[in-house]
Amino acid sequence: MESKDSVIAAFQKIPVKVEEVDFQQRGYHLEVIVKEGQLRAFAELLRTGNFYLSFISGLHLATGIEVSYQFANYGFPCRLLAHVAVDADGSLPTIADIFQGANWHERETKDFYGVIFRDHPNLKPLLLAEDMEDLKPLLKKEKTLKDRAAISRAQPETEPAPTAKEDA
Amino acid sequence: MTSMAEKGEHRYVLNMGPQHPSTHGVLRVILEMEGEYVMDPQPVLGYGHRMHEKMAESRSWPNFLPNAARMDYLSALIYNHGYVGVVERLAGIEPTPRAEYIRVITSELNRLQSHLLWLGVLVLDLGAFTPIMYTFEDREKILDILEDVTGARLTYCYMRVGGVVRDIDDKFIQRTREYIDWQRSRMPMYEKLVTGNIIFRKRVEQIGEFTPDMARRFGLTGPVLRATGIGYDIRRAEPYSVYPEFDFDIPTETAGDCMAAYKVRVREIEQSLRILEQALDKLPEGPCMAKVPKKLKLPAGDACYAVESPRGELVYHLTGDGSDTPYRMKIRVPSFSNLSLLPELCRGMLLSDLCACMGSLDLVIPEIDR
Repeated sequence: MESKDSVIAAFQKIPVKVEEVDFQQRGYHLEVIVKEGQLRAFAELLRTGNFYLSFISGLHLATGIEVSYQFANYGFPCRLLAHVAVDADGSLPTIADIFQGANWHERETKDFYGVIFRDHPNLKPLLLAEDMEDLKPLLKKEKTLKDRAAISRAQPETEPAPTAKEDA
Repeated sequence: MTSMAEKGEHRYVLNMGPQHPSTHGVLRVILEMEGEYVMDPQPVLGYGHRMHEKMAESRSWPNFLPNAARMDYLSALIYNHGYVGVVERLAGIEPTPRAEYIRVITSELNRLQSHLLWLGVLVLDLGAFTPIMYTFEDREKILDILEDVTGARLTYCYMRVGGVVRDIDDKFIQRTREYIDWQRSRMPMYEKLVTGNIIFRKRVEQIGEFTPDMARRFGLTGPVLRATGIGYDIRRAEPYSVYPEFDFDIPTETAGDCMAAYKVRVREIEQSLRILEQALDKLPEGPCMAKVPKKLKLPAGDACYAVESPRGELVYHLTGDGSDTPYRMKIRVPSFSNLSLLPELCRGMLLSDLCACMGSLDLVIPEIDR
């Protein structure tokens, strides 16, 4: 994988849903929707390229918890954000054996959201104390939960920004 | 080392921290030792955990500005820059050109003082007390310059969405130019005092082994990554602000040991000085603050903003829902990933070499714990 296009082509073999987004607006190049069963194949594919794991984070939506994986490339500009919805029992497969750096990021996500990463080598509290295991501080109250549409960009994305550009 | 280690004989557990001076903050490392050799170092985090991400979700976005400085106290302005950058990107606001230059100038001064502090404490961890006195003299000059314009010496809250809170004046520019010359005149001294010192070199050469593959597996960024020969710097790879307008190099080394990380950082001091010089020369006139709506709401959608902190890649990922409070904010900090390789990096190493490795990673613990 030497360019963004070859990365997109490789993704289509898994196949995961990939969309190119405007870097100036979003700060990353590719948005990827990965199904839970594809996650490990997806990570293994990125491992063969020059990618590194930037972070893993969660998002609590009305439809459930989504986990986001951000990867970036050392060789060429290609930052991607992959969303994976956790399955019915609130778990996902670990990728800590593929990208060892995921170990701590997954423990952190477990701390904050209670997501279980299956086959993780050491899924103990990382940032929270041992007796705070049930706290899950980033879960939202039911009435504040929103769905995906409420936090997605309005279409079309070319609408003029609400700035005072003309005054500046 | 192997046979005894395999049998697990003569092992004992040594607790380093959370108050140990060379863990720089409240990091605890549980060391499983075999004589003087570290067989299994396991960092324990969370002593300084404040849950900044939750704070971001529970207050309107301008009220998070002071928090940004309180994660990495050594690069508060760079954290400022990332935070205002992500809000601007999501809301589609353009800062003024002068503000962008001021941001780069103050960020680079901030990077310099962080590198100078690191230089002092690295050799302090290795037992040499004198150099930190010299680096503090240099660092003090930067803090004085920044104090005049930002009003703070450590936890700056200087940048605002659309610009910066106060314009820089001629006095600032003149003092910064004087500082650049001063710092250049000091580097040969550090070369003699530290880099060429045989005791120092014996403590860092061929100690630690950072490899490109390890970098990919652990998500290594910053000077330790560039010590493995990968010239990856966010300022060049995904240029933000006005960095594309400056001519500077990304120093790399190939040895991948602590000495290589040391050399990369020392050479970065010169590159930051070059950026400063060019930014002061090119500084445009104009307002330092764009017109921004008084009650700015974050539009629905998400945005990332990555900046290069002195320790590596810092990413803010902000999700807005149309209100003035973020729906979610994730902060990716460089030291978190960099420290996570410690167990692999330091297995089988002498305890004193572990201190050299942790010094090379340039850890800032409040940033890891957030």
